Amino acid sequence: MSQFLSVLRHRRFPVSLAAVAFALLGALPAAAQDSDPLTKLDPNSRNTIELLVDSASTLGLPADYLRSTALQGVALKVDGKRIVDAVRKKFSLLKTAYATLGPVGGEELKAAASVLYAGAKPAQLTPFKARQKDRNDLDAFVVWADLVTRGVPSEEASSAITKLWQDGASDATFNGLWNSVQSDILKGLNPGAALQSRIRETPERQPGNKVTPP
Amino acid sequence: MNEPKVAILTFAAALLVPLPRVLAAQVVSTIEAGQYTVSDGVLPVSAMRVAPSIEYALPHATFSAHGSAFVSDQNLQLADGIVSGTFTSPTVYGVRAEMIGNASRAVDDRSLGTDQVDVQTRVHVLFHQHGGVWLGGGVARPWRVAVASSANVTDAGAWTKIGDALARFGTATFTTTFTNFSFTKIAAVDDASSPDLSCAVAATPSANVAMRAMFSVAAEPGAACERQSRFSDLEGTMHWEVGTIELTASTGYRFGDSYDVTPDSKRWSTGTATVWLNDRIAIVGGGGRQPALPLRGLPARSFGMAGLELAYWPMNHGGVPVSLPRAPLVKTFEMHTLPTGMQKIIIHVGGVETVDVMGDFSDWSPLTLVRRGRDLWELSVPLSAGMHQIDVRVDGGPWMAPPGTPTAHDSYGGDVGLIVVAPDKATPQQ
Repeated sequence: MSQFLSVLRHRRFPVSLAAVAFALLGALPAAAQDSDPLTKLDPNSRNTIELLVDSASTLGLPADYLRSTALQGVALKVDGKRIVDAVRKKFSLLKTAYATLGPVGGEELKAAASVLYAGAKPAQLTPFKARQKDRNDLDAFVVWADLVTRGVPSEEASSAITKLWQDGASDATFNGLWNSVQSDILKGLNPGAALQSRIRETPERQPGNKVTPP
Repeated sequence: MNEPKVAILTFAAALLVPLPRVLAAQVVSTIEAGQYTVSDGVLPVSAMRVAPSIEYALPHATFSAHGSAFVSDQNLQLADGIVSGTFTSPTVYGVRAEMIGNASRAVDDRSLGTDQVDVQTRVHVLFHQHGGVWLGGGVARPWRVAVASSANVTDAGAWTKIGDALARFGTATFTTTFTNFSFTKIAAVDDASSPDLSCAVAATPSANVAMRAMFSVAAEPGAACERQSRFSDLEGTMHWEVGTIELTASTGYRFGDSYDVTPDSKRWSTGTATVWLNDRIAIVGGGGRQPALPLRGLPARSFGMAGLELAYWPMNHGGVPVSLPRAPLVKTFEMHTLPTGMQKIIIHVGGVETVDVMGDFSDWSPLTLVRRGRDLWELSVPLSAGMHQIDVRVDGGPWMAPPGTPTAHDSYGGDVGLIVVAPDKATPQQ
């Protein structure tokens, strides 16, 4: 205790304390930089990914989508080349989605890119360019991507989702359709047949119940 | 058509029937066909062999059946068959109990078939799914082997798994097992072929026990005694999975005196390789030497095999079917918006030690859920409005899309769950 008090009384104590604090503050940015998972990549891959992310940002595309793709690759311990390929592919899909849908929100572009990645054709996104105010197509796109992933033929999934969308189906309708179809598929039904069967039951497809867009 | 042929063909046909996916997530079936060569046994030197297997896995129980048959004289002959059931307790603080039951039949030729039922209990201590040790004990009851009694079996083992399924060098699992067999065996009082095989020095001669030959022992009826036998097997196994290739190699050493351990069963090594051409078809090949099974009266043998394996796996697409996905263990996955705007992830899964999620919201860093009940796991995370990707894993297993969420393929050969958070349910931005 006496030593501690003597240190406190020592004139150089505040100077030492300041020096230590300064050193810690100086070390913080370096520590933060080291914690970036992308530093685990080889320099070439990392530079390419940063270039792609910057390019997306400059074009007004959701750059976080590309960074997320890279981070997932790092988490799964995928080699740098595959990660760069994946980020490049996603960048290309974002540009295609943007060229098709126009200046929509970043989240919708990400969802549209997921649909394209699942196997949809860019032209199939075109009907979603015309949209009603305050309506987003996130749920429609997510359900669409899932259906294609589960084996529903791309044309059938596109046709069903587009028709529902044009009929003004709500998010709940899309989610309800997904629940029913995936349940049928789990029971062993053919994915395409499951969608065709369930789409006939959705309210928006029944005669006389068509929702008029505002 | 003889009885084994009907049984094998029925079993093989059943494997080809498509199962509903809700079951497929828990069923693995394979059928292997190829050339099988064996020496030192009574089986044909080289024969066409068919080996079907099926496994049905539940969260706390696994049932499996394996068998093999060979074509001899244009007839299908049963070589062996085994039906197994394993019951596993939930893991509590890394400790898990296991009960294993097997019923098996081995046919060495058309006249000699032996059956065995064995039951064993094990206690496992797991170290975060990267390794573990176990201690077990049980009893094996052979039938139609007159020279051996029931055997007490005790075993201990350790295993460790290194690597990552997606890494360049894949995963390697090393297992070491020490098994001790203790049983009473009937032996000849005087064995002309080898004094070691006689029980002249045995302590408990029995009166007028009917004698049957085992291995090369020759004796007169009535000239027999009971002798306590004991031997131990130390075996090391390495299983390596990398890309589309699986390699398994094992080697072992048998401890015991010369009465219980024949010279040809002192040491053994086997190796098999499987190369998956796609997720349903693989080329398999292997060979080596198997030790004798004294409890069943089966001699040591060398073998070699090469053939094709057809598999029906619970895989959605691509990938190498090297292990059962663990995500089917997850019963439910839910997300609820808290008053604070945070999203609470609720997962029901029992009998596991850890549950992790990761996604774009965590910059793909694993977040461990907190156990709130016997099978209830929870975690609150901030989620902005929009689409999010999420994966879940249990007990450090493979990352998979959680059940009950729309799913899409990711860029790296796996799947991710897709979640949409509405603006009115999103976590307020800081």
